[in-house]
Amino acid sequence: MASSDSVAGAMPPGDGSVPPGKSMTVGQTIIDSTAHIVQSLNPIKNMKKHVCTFAIYSHDMRRQIQVHHYASRLSQDFLQCTVYDSDESDARLIGVEYIISQRVFDTLQPEEQKLWHSHGYEVTRGLWVNPGVPEMIQKPELKNIAQTYGKFWCTWQVDRGDQLPMGAPALMVSPQGVNQGMVKEDMIRARDEKYKISCEELAKSREGIVVPETTNPFSDYWMTTQKGFAVDVLPTEMKTTTALP
Amino acid sequence: MDEAPVMIPGDPTKTSTALLEKTTAAIQGFGPINKIHEHLCAFHFYADDMTRQVEAHHFCSHQNEEFRQCLIYDRPDKNGRLIGVEYMVSEELFLTLPDSEKPFWHSHEYEVKSGVLFMPSVPGPIQRQDMDKICKTYGKTIHFWQVDRGDELPLGLPQVMMALTRDGQLHDHLAKDVERRYNMSYAAERDNREYMKGPVHGIHPLANAAGKGLKTVLREVDCCDVGCGHGSGAARVFV
Repeated sequence: MASSDSVAGAMPPGDGSVPPGKSMTVGQTIIDSTAHIVQSLNPIKNMKKHVCTFAIYSHDMRRQIQVHHYASRLSQDFLQCTVYDSDESDARLIGVEYIISQRVFDTLQPEEQKLWHSHGYEVTRGLWVNPGVPEMIQKPELKNIAQTYGKFWCTWQVDRGDQLPMGAPALMVSPQGVNQGMVKEDMIRARDEKYKISCEELAKSREGIVVPETTNPFSDYWMTTQKGFAVDVLPTEMKTTTALP
Repeated sequence: MDEAPVMIPGDPTKTSTALLEKTTAAIQGFGPINKIHEHLCAFHFYADDMTRQVEAHHFCSHQNEEFRQCLIYDRPDKNGRLIGVEYMVSEELFLTLPDSEKPFWHSHEYEVKSGVLFMPSVPGPIQRQDMDKICKTYGKTIHFWQVDRGDELPLGLPQVMMALTRDGQLHDHLAKDVERRYNMSYAAERDNREYMKGPVHGIHPLANAAGKGLKTVLREVDCCDVGCGHGSGAARVFV
């Protein structure tokens, strides 16, 4: 029915806004404000960290995107991140990434490990940054992240022009120091310019950070196989309790 | 559901880590997150298995009047696991989707009119203004973490999820658990919402996966264009 690596069908051009739609009414704004005051929104308050980095589509590594993670920590070994395409208030929600420590990663079966990527390169190369946080304060966290693995599903391929979140979810992989894993220079420059940082300087200051010693044969699967993964959504028999719909 | 402890792999967060994160949280901006203004409680079921149902806590922001994007958690406290996302569109936007896309999206009419979809803590009259709008919308939900089968980690492939469309689908014990915790009654709210109407054009026949099931399958592909790989075993370099 649909695949993460196939082009989504056409939609009317509209006025070019992504997503399309009428502006917020006053009525809706009032409903939202009321809800915001009376509801506790606790899981949202647990998001303590904004990360800016880059990600690459597993099924087409020519496509690289800048991503913004808002992370909450559930344990010393586990983070869950909501991922957006910018840090502005109108940013599009484009997916979710989960981050786990080496020792948790080691408990996964090989077929599962193939869906995960390492973070060592993007931290030591200065691609992974916490905007606004002085490097010195970030250091302990960076040492931790450099040893972690991530699993990132993208649900809205904004970079290919999708006005709405269409198609099947796509697996993403992390930047690496070889071949299609290298982030394009102009993308890094644009990001650095925005946050007034320098990837090169960060890389230098992160020289001492240790990355995992042993090479896992399954994570970053493309590096040893030149193969990525696409997701297909196919019709099937549904187990039901009643008729549908 | 929010009374049982949640099993998260790994050690409890160290004090030093927590302090560091509190510091960074105070310094950084959280633009997209600050836009999240509402909490909705409802249920989803797997698009290939209606018998597997999950309590779903939505935390939503509006991009505009016709589009919401929601984070889905399994419980509404700070230990809630981020299990998925949902996008919600107006009927008008839904009708602009290509036919190949429409089956991913589910209708909200039944969930709203039955009272099963609700906004915890928000007074009825205000809540119903929002529910009346949601009644006409469609949602696309993807879950990444199958907590209902006991997964302690988000394993496997993303799952397309569907929403309730008629009486008799929702497991009684799940319904009663929510009613008890929130001290509310679906039946009473159903009466309050009797006046609400679903999509103007009726529920589209392609929505709700056109009445069929959907499953996700992984497929290996060549990921790089010509010139990327150099045979098998590309050297792994950590800079």
